[in-house]
Amino acid sequence: MQKIDKVKRDKALELLKSGSDSKLLTHLNACVRCGLCAGSCMFYIAHKQSKFIPAKKVDLVSSVYRRYCTSMGKIAPALVNAKDLDDSMAEEMVDLLFGSCTMCGRCVKHCSIGVDIAYIVRKGREMLSAMDMVPASLQATVDSALRTGNNMAIPTEEFVDTIKWMEEELIDEMGDNNARIPLDEPHKNVFYTLNPREPKFFPLSISAIAKIFYAAGENWTISSRFYDVTNYGFFNGNKEQATVIARNLYDEIHKLRGNVLVLGECGHGTRANRWEGPNYLQKSYDFDMTTAVELIADYIRQGRIKLDKTLNKELVTIHDPCNLVRNGGLLEEIRFVVKSAADNFTEMNPHGNENYCCGGGGGMLAMSEYNDRRLKIGEIKANQIRATGAKVVITPCHNCVDQLSQLNHTYKLGIKIKTIAELVADALVIEK
Amino acid sequence: MCWYHWIAITSLIFSVALFSYQFARLVIPGRPDDLSVSSGSVTKGVVYSFTKAMAPGAKESAYLHMPTYAGGIIYHLGTFLSLVLFFVLLAGFPSLNNPLRTIFSVLLFISFFAGFAILIKRIINKDLKSLSGLDDYISNVVTSLVQLFTAIYLLVPGAEILYYLSVALFFIWLPLGKTKHLLFFFFARYHLGFFYGWRGTWPQKSE
Ligand code: SF4
Ligand code: SF4
Repeated sequence: MQKIDKVKRDKALELLKSGSDSKLLTHLNACVRCGLCAGSCMFYIAHKQSKFIPAKKVDLVSSVYRRYCTSMGKIAPALVNAKDLDDSMAEEMVDLLFGSCTMCGRCVKHCSIGVDIAYIVRKGREMLSAMDMVPASLQATVDSALRTGNNMAIPTEEFVDTIKWMEEELIDEMGDNNARIPLDEPHKNVFYTLNPREPKFFPLSISAIAKIFYAAGENWTISSRFYDVTNYGFFNGNKEQATVIARNLYDEIHKLRGNVLVLGECGHGTRANRWEGPNYLQKSYDFDMTTAVELIADYIRQGRIKLDKTLNKELVTIHDPCNLVRNGGLLEEIRFVVKSAADNFTEMNPHGNENYCCGGGGGMLAMSEYNDRRLKIGEIKANQIRATGAKVVITPCHNCVDQLSQLNHTYKLGIKIKTIAELVADALVIEK
Repeated sequence: MCWYHWIAITSLIFSVALFSYQFARLVIPGRPDDLSVSSGSVTKGVVYSFTKAMAPGAKESAYLHMPTYAGGIIYHLGTFLSLVLFFVLLAGFPSLNNPLRTIFSVLLFISFFAGFAILIKRIINKDLKSLSGLDDYISNVVTSLVQLFTAIYLLVPGAEILYYLSVALFFIWLPLGKTKHLLFFFFARYHLGFFYGWRGTWPQKSE
């Protein structure tokens, strides 16, 4: 039975009509298929199969564009490599655009022309979403966020219990009955957000940031209902769903009248809220937005927290989350914080804007269909880490933490993986 | 002017008209709309995109593939030289004396062979072959032929008809095939510079 009917195809093709979109028109037409991007993509490096070349992913989308949106493609498709959008093309698109690209953008920086490959992959995902062809596991993650307000469907009572438990830990650790993790408090300066993996699997990272806020004397709160910084609508290609999820945080900070939306340690969550959020909602935000990394860096610069880096003696290295560094400009800020909090630091090779993705980006961690592929491409990261000799890998992204933890186990790296807040909390000097 | 001159000129007009149309479509929408708050400078990002980010040392597509990169540069220089020479030859420029003709001809034979080598690589390299369609071969052949026939015509005036017909073919294909990157390349660099500049990734401040 045909998967794509005319209605679905037309919806998908509508997304390629680049009438007033110079960026889309440009990147659909710019690739020269030189193939020189192959060696920049971890999927190709790990599998050595032609289908994983970044240009192949671009070509799936641009060949459909040429077929339906250009005169030459309509008259003589074979001459200009124009292809039909049929079932087999759509299935290939699912496999390569969802299952073989983390949208890390490493190939983009190295492309001989400057084609924004990740942007075209995203456009392809939007087309697949319009045809109801999002992998079920990824869609389930989005559906959870739409249904419950967080992508792991954590019930509010469970979340509140976890926060209360962490608050008790904080009180004990600080020896101060006034130490708090404030929930749903209005008129606070900082409205903090979390990756649901934190309350679910890594509650200590919540206590780490709470400790930093305590030391800085910050006036802050978390919402018990809309605290989720992630937005898998950025990955499934459904802009309407991404907009609903982005609006959750937008409305909640207004409801609580917070000053600054602080995006917790999550690469794609930061990207989806900071860079995409206002565009999803089609309005400029009337509150400030920053990341946990930048906020902590400010505390250090302003002397609001004091750090003793000798408390972190082990050799540490940084894994740069693609959405925070290459696609987010936080290269220097992350290093400033890590170097302020760790005594012994070394870089990976390559690192920063050149860094390889951990392999868990682009929604890969949510798509169990591609687990083997994900772990295989992660070997590149595992080898990078091993070569540094570091005992601790710092990364300001809980998705990366999850993937690195699995790589640690699979490739027997024997490392610890920490977020920036955890590293900084361990170096805090609390003046009583 | 003979009929083949007119064919070449008509093809040039066709090419310019199509490129002008594409150019207008790219420019009329204006600067990309972005409602997020920039943390960098678009101007600096775009300048970086056209300068340091293009340096061979900044791109794996260059420094991991030096022979291909060098071949590509020579090939592109040959294409631009052919374009300039088309106008010079059409105008019957008197200063194009014999030594100059020989020099240009040698340069164009070299660039033709660079293009030919790229074509052979496309045919025998399994990865590149899997990426390729008719457009890739046609684009290479029409561009290489212009260089070859320019090189020949500079030395052998009798090749005039073949030369002008090869130029006509080139001009017709230029805005239709992937050769249109002549225009789209500049916009790709602009949009990339905008993207990375807006977010403060470019210009890169440290290693
Ligand atoms: S390097 Fe860029 S232009 Fe070349 S094939 Fe890859 S995406 Fe296309
Ligand atoms: S964005 Fe990353 S994963 Fe996707 S093709 Fe480029 S290098 Fe590969």
